[in-house]
Amino acid sequence: MKVGLFIPCYVNAVYPEVGVASYKLFDYLGIEINYPLNQTCCGQPMANAGFEQKAIPMIKHFDELFESYEYVVAPSASCVAFVKPRTNGKIYEVCEFLHDILKVNKLPGKFPHKVSVHNSCHGVRELHLSSPSELNIPRYSKIKNLLTLIEGVEVFEPEKADECCGFGGMFSIEEPSVSVCMGQDKLANHIATGAEYVTGADSSCLMHLQGVARREKQPIEFIHVVQILAAGL
Amino acid sequence: MNLQQTQWHNATLWMVRKKRDNLAMQIPEWEELRRLASQIKMHTLSHLDRYLVQFTDNAEANGAIVHWAKDADEHNAIVLDILNRHKARKLVKSKSMLTEECHLNPFLEANGIEVVESDLGERILQLMHAAPSHIVMPAIHLKRQEVGKLFEDKLHTEKDNSDPTYLTRAARQHLRNEFLTADASMTGANFAVADTGEIVVCTNEGNADMGTSFAPLHIVSVGIEKMAPNHSALGVFTRLLARSATGQPSTTYTSHYRKPRQGCEMHIVLVDNGRSKTLGNEAHQQALKCIRCGACMNTCPVYRRKGGYAYSYFIPGPIGINLGMLKSPKKYANNVSACSLCYSCNQVCPVQVDLADQIYSWRQQLDSIGKANKIKKIISTGLTCLFTRPRLYNNILKLAPVINHIPRFLIYNRLNGWGKGREMPPFAKESFTQMWKKGKVKK
Amino acid sequence: MSSKDEILAAIRRNIKTTYDLPEIKPEGDGYTDKIKQFTEVSRSVAANVVVLQEGEDLNQCIRALYPEAATVASNLPEITIQTIDPDKVETPHQLNGTMLGIVKGEFGVAENGCVWIPQNVKEKAVYFISEYLVILLNKTNIVNNMHEAYEKLHTYDYGFGVFISGPSKTADIEQALVVGAHGAKGVTTILI
Repeated sequence: MKVGLFIPCYVNAVYPEVGVASYKLFDYLGIEINYPLNQTCCGQPMANAGFEQKAIPMIKHFDELFESYEYVVAPSASCVAFVKPRTNGKIYEVCEFLHDILKVNKLPGKFPHKVSVHNSCHGVRELHLSSPSELNIPRYSKIKNLLTLIEGVEVFEPEKADECCGFGGMFSIEEPSVSVCMGQDKLANHIATGAEYVTGADSSCLMHLQGVARREKQPIEFIHVVQILAAGL
Repeated sequence: MNLQQTQWHNATLWMVRKKRDNLAMQIPEWEELRRLASQIKMHTLSHLDRYLVQFTDNAEANGAIVHWAKDADEHNAIVLDILNRHKARKLVKSKSMLTEECHLNPFLEANGIEVVESDLGERILQLMHAAPSHIVMPAIHLKRQEVGKLFEDKLHTEKDNSDPTYLTRAARQHLRNEFLTADASMTGANFAVADTGEIVVCTNEGNADMGTSFAPLHIVSVGIEKMAPNHSALGVFTRLLARSATGQPSTTYTSHYRKPRQGCEMHIVLVDNGRSKTLGNEAHQQALKCIRCGACMNTCPVYRRKGGYAYSYFIPGPIGINLGMLKSPKKYANNVSACSLCYSCNQVCPVQVDLADQIYSWRQQLDSIGKANKIKKIISTGLTCLFTRPRLYNNILKLAPVINHIPRFLIYNRLNGWGKGREMPPFAKESFTQMWKKGKVKK
Repeated sequence: MSSKDEILAAIRRNIKTTYDLPEIKPEGDGYTDKIKQFTEVSRSVAANVVVLQEGEDLNQCIRALYPEAATVASNLPEITIQTIDPDKVETPHQLNGTMLGIVKGEFGVAENGCVWIPQNVKEKAVYFISEYLVILLNKTNIVNNMHEAYEKLHTYDYGFGVFISGPSKTADIEQALVVGAHGAKGVTTILI
């Protein structure tokens, strides 16, 4: 199995440790994974802002870059949700890949902490990482399933478990008041679980919530779910 | 809205969303009903000509008089003409978003007709000379004290009594008199059934029925997209409507108007007003499936916090963003940003309107009509320039950490929307790409 | 061209793809105890449900429920306590002030507590203007859901018909539920 690693632009620059954790996980699981250089951005920020045309060259570049790979994985649900329908569909979010393709049922890590799972909109409603609260379908959560493999972790979900945190790409700067208000509400719900960490499959949401938390000087920490799954590796 | 109002509005509408969830989860076949409802709507819309003709034939055979209006002006003229022929001076109305769309009330009032809204929320707003902020709960933005003050002034209720039961009873008394003295009644329609020629109206208050039970004239305003083929389709829609709208198993009254009351007249005005054009817009025609339940507003995290008045089109929330763009993209483009693309609206919609996808699609069209947000355009252009040049991108990645040392005031100012209420994330000392190149990832 | 022709022409011009009508046969089990379900849902929407006991007198039963109702409107032959016959009023306005209306429902719907009432009086106003409403319903006539209800509707020839579930209500002031908006302030369904 030849797997390519896609590291979204902002993860690359701000959260490289998420990329490192992703690599370590696959390496531990015996998957041959490579990081093709010259990758940039999936194009989602421009597209959601109304400039999908500007994203097309990036998608094309993406396709060419990963052409020789059987699968592409990326630690970002939102980017994957954007790329998947616009390419041949072989891109997976890391949790999705571990859960559905590799069907991982054992991980060696320990993470003796309380974590509140952040169900990101695109992860839930586009990638189906968990059952959306709106639908009358059996309840499931791939992220929670994976977290149970880690020793010591206590998993919580905030009230309004899949309400948007208000990031929304350029929504966050075009509608800053409501975006911040949504972030504050979401953060309060996460804090109310008593968790020490907020975790999820989207660093973008976490970045937004972290921004709110730091401004409000809230002590809660943020960690990408892949970092928990790779604990101790 | 101030912070307190925002919090109340948000919490209250979320409560309605939760009531909806609670009822939806009690129906095991819920998702199948949504699928069916969507398919029935798509079928009906794609055979709309046939169903409208069938409806008209049946309604006329039932003794109703059917009118056709191409636009709002024609609709309003028809209604006025019917009223004038009957020498009707007072019209009592039940809730109709279509007549809001057509600006019927001011038109009739300018022509000497007294118009009385009879839905409690609508009546409150009429007395305040204000517009609805939600399509199902029109006065949801108001606090009881505001209604108490208004009723004190207009209905002479007790001073400082803002108890909802007390105020509702006062309105009941006041409006009963209006029902009994009206010359004509008007309703909208939730559904118009083609194979029976009947109009179905759903209310909780009973105001549509009170109006039509007394006045000798009943006028129905109905958008052409409200057609339902038959009763079997109604079985699907009525199971979805109230559960989605307010979290009730059914509205209190689901009234079927087939024939005029004995000795009375029933007029049905079928209104196009842009709907036939929307039908030809394949990217956006699904907006015509909407059954006006308001569930997309209740779930929308942006609507809940901004309130209906933050939107420039008279219908707010996800469906309103789309309907406004269908009405006039240039005029209502400013609503398109009020969406974080969370897709919750798509999933609560009982007829599976692809609301968020449509908003996404409208965004793509903004630049071509000169309505793109300038800052977003500059950023998008800049990012495209960066991301289509991997070498430049890699160099920027190396330089990015420098930003961490820029003085705060240069970053956190009013030009930076992010800085409002949020800290910027610090850039990592080394990007993932640099780490990979230096062999720090693979060990 | 008339507006009708113009609208129809515009529709025909704009329809590009056509879709079939789906077969409407949703899955879903019926209720094992329809009376129980009907009763529970009715109560949840503020309606009262009473089962007329074997040998119990209907008129006495209603009287006991509404002892103070001075004006009672009904056209039903089995009702003897009525003071107004809604079939005999000249105008519906004469029904204003009715304390209690007693009407007959044709069938109930277990899933949502609706009762189907095709107009069976001269003035339908009695269903709505009465301060309180009693609906008589044969307890063997309860269907599972709205699909079954609408199948049954075909057997009725009505000029007007209404599904009523409970008393009229509103939550237009601050979402605070108030029972008794414009229609009945209370509804009792008597299962016979």
